[in-house]
Amino acid sequence: MIQTLEDISRLAREKGPKKLAVLAPEDGEFMMAVKKGWENGYIEPVLIGNLEKMKKVADEVEFDISQFETIIEEDRQTIADLGTSMFFEGKFDIEGKGQIPTSYIYRSIIREEAKLGTGRTVSVISLWEIPGLNHLVGFTDTGATITPDYNTKVKIVNNAIFLAHLLGYPRPKICVLSGQREIGGALPSLNDGELLKTAAASGELGECEIIEATNFFEIFMNMEKPFDSYEQIDISKLPHILLAPNLDTANILCKLNFLLDVKRRSLLISTKGPVIIPARSDFSNSITGEIAMGVVIADRIREGVS
Amino acid sequence: MIGTWKELIERAQDSEKKKLIVAIPTLHTLDVIEEASRAHLISPVLVGNASTIEKMVTSTSLTHQDYEIIDEGDRDKALAKAVHMARDNGDILMQGHNDHQTFVDVVLNEGSGLLNGRLASLVSVFQLLERDKLILITDTYMNDYPSLKEKITILENALTLTDILEFDSPRKVAAIAAVEQINPSIPATVDAAIISKMSERKQFGDVVVEGALDMDCAVSKGAAARKGVKSIVTGNADVYLVPEVETGYLLSQLLVFIGKMTMAGVLAGTSTPVIIDLPFVSRENKIAEIALASLMCPKGDNNA
Repeated sequence: MIQTLEDISRLAREKGPKKLAVLAPEDGEFMMAVKKGWENGYIEPVLIGNLEKMKKVADEVEFDISQFETIIEEDRQTIADLGTSMFFEGKFDIEGKGQIPTSYIYRSIIREEAKLGTGRTVSVISLWEIPGLNHLVGFTDTGATITPDYNTKVKIVNNAIFLAHLLGYPRPKICVLSGQREIGGALPSLNDGELLKTAAASGELGECEIIEATNFFEIFMNMEKPFDSYEQIDISKLPHILLAPNLDTANILCKLNFLLDVKRRSLLISTKGPVIIPARSDFSNSITGEIAMGVVIADRIREGVS
Repeated sequence: MIGTWKELIERAQDSEKKKLIVAIPTLHTLDVIEEASRAHLISPVLVGNASTIEKMVTSTSLTHQDYEIIDEGDRDKALAKAVHMARDNGDILMQGHNDHQTFVDVVLNEGSGLLNGRLASLVSVFQLLERDKLILITDTYMNDYPSLKEKITILENALTLTDILEFDSPRKVAAIAAVEQINPSIPATVDAAIISKMSERKQFGDVVVEGALDMDCAVSKGAAARKGVKSIVTGNADVYLVPEVETGYLLSQLLVFIGKMTMAGVLAGTSTPVIIDLPFVSRENKIAEIALASLMCPKGDNNA
């Protein structure tokens, strides 16, 4: 079972190098992450994008990219389409998003999934490492669907459960988050949560457990005992997966790594393997960590670990 | 500028004691009231069954000189009395053992006279972990999916609090959403952009609203720079305006339970400050809530 991001780095060194298609690594922080990934033995990159821009940022971070395969392409959507179709053909183990709009890569993946008829939805999982907790926690969907309906939430949860199993959490606990308070009518997020609980109980979602709590207070506290002290908070009560009501909530919560003492790694799992989706504001350490995550997940998908 | 709970409480202690009205106090409420009384913040008025209250008070160090009891055995009538007292000759209304929905309904009812005429919103105040700075997040409780018009009122409600907390001018507001780019498919980004434009036209006074901002741009100047967002708000926002309550409610709880940040919440948009019994506010911070409410009281009114 993977407990920490250090486990991920260690495993990535063991299981690498994997072939990573890098879409438009045209930014210094991103190219630095590719360099570190290569130096750590995680990856062998294939660089797709504007050659001049890629060379410029590679020079800035003192990385000789002439040794790697490069595919020269200017148009952002074409870069996404080309990289993704080659990824789906099995030419790469991992795909990684550089300086292209995220929606372009989603579009390409949705198209490839449709060709295969998988019915899989594109959703992003942002994993947090929280000090003192012996497993990672995944917020989802932090990137793709703006206001998922119940059926989409089922697919988003399925993707998250698949990843949780790969991380070695055989029966992940899931909290369907909701802004339902003591006041106001029932929010759709609460209703969806109830339906998901029923689906989970009947085995429709596979090995998982949807917990009763719908917010952080309910996860950590109970109404019987008032919240007197922060000593009462037992972080181990946090489940493996937090399904957010909508994109605004998911993204806002998962980006709190910029404020709190937690680390975040964001990725999506396609039928053909992991796609790493760094935020445009992420720094190279975080992106290198995501590359390592991609390596481990690609390896586990290939090995059929679940 | 008030930057810590300590400063907030000290400032409230410098002002007159406030008359705090509570209907149907519980033992837990009385604990908090006892502490706030000892801190010279309030003189409590307890509304409910007198003999029950008398019995409960014996478990505290409060003496007869410290409090007043209004005898009313009926729960609903006790709450109605408390609300009327708070409006007519009290300073702060605090929720006791009343069901949240009932309490909020009574407070928001036009007949209560507590509402300023528009809408009430909850402001969650947090103290940052490594800086002497308080930040405001709103609306974290009251309105499910506010319209643009309602968001503007929610913002204005919060801005009155930035005055009370003497934040430096210009006040900096991050209107947050999933992304910092304006995307017509994501309504929160459009609302944020409009409110941001309104601030540019000085429609909120000496206030800079930046929006849409995603959370990374809002809390980190470095992250914002990576995305090409340059603003005095990034990394230094005083107020975080959230898109809807799913975000507001969960964000404030996450900061408490995972971020271990301390929070005090108070209702804004009412003529008399109202404290809702939010279970995720720690006992210690309920004192800060009372101090905050105390500073929100209109000056020179019903000081005890």
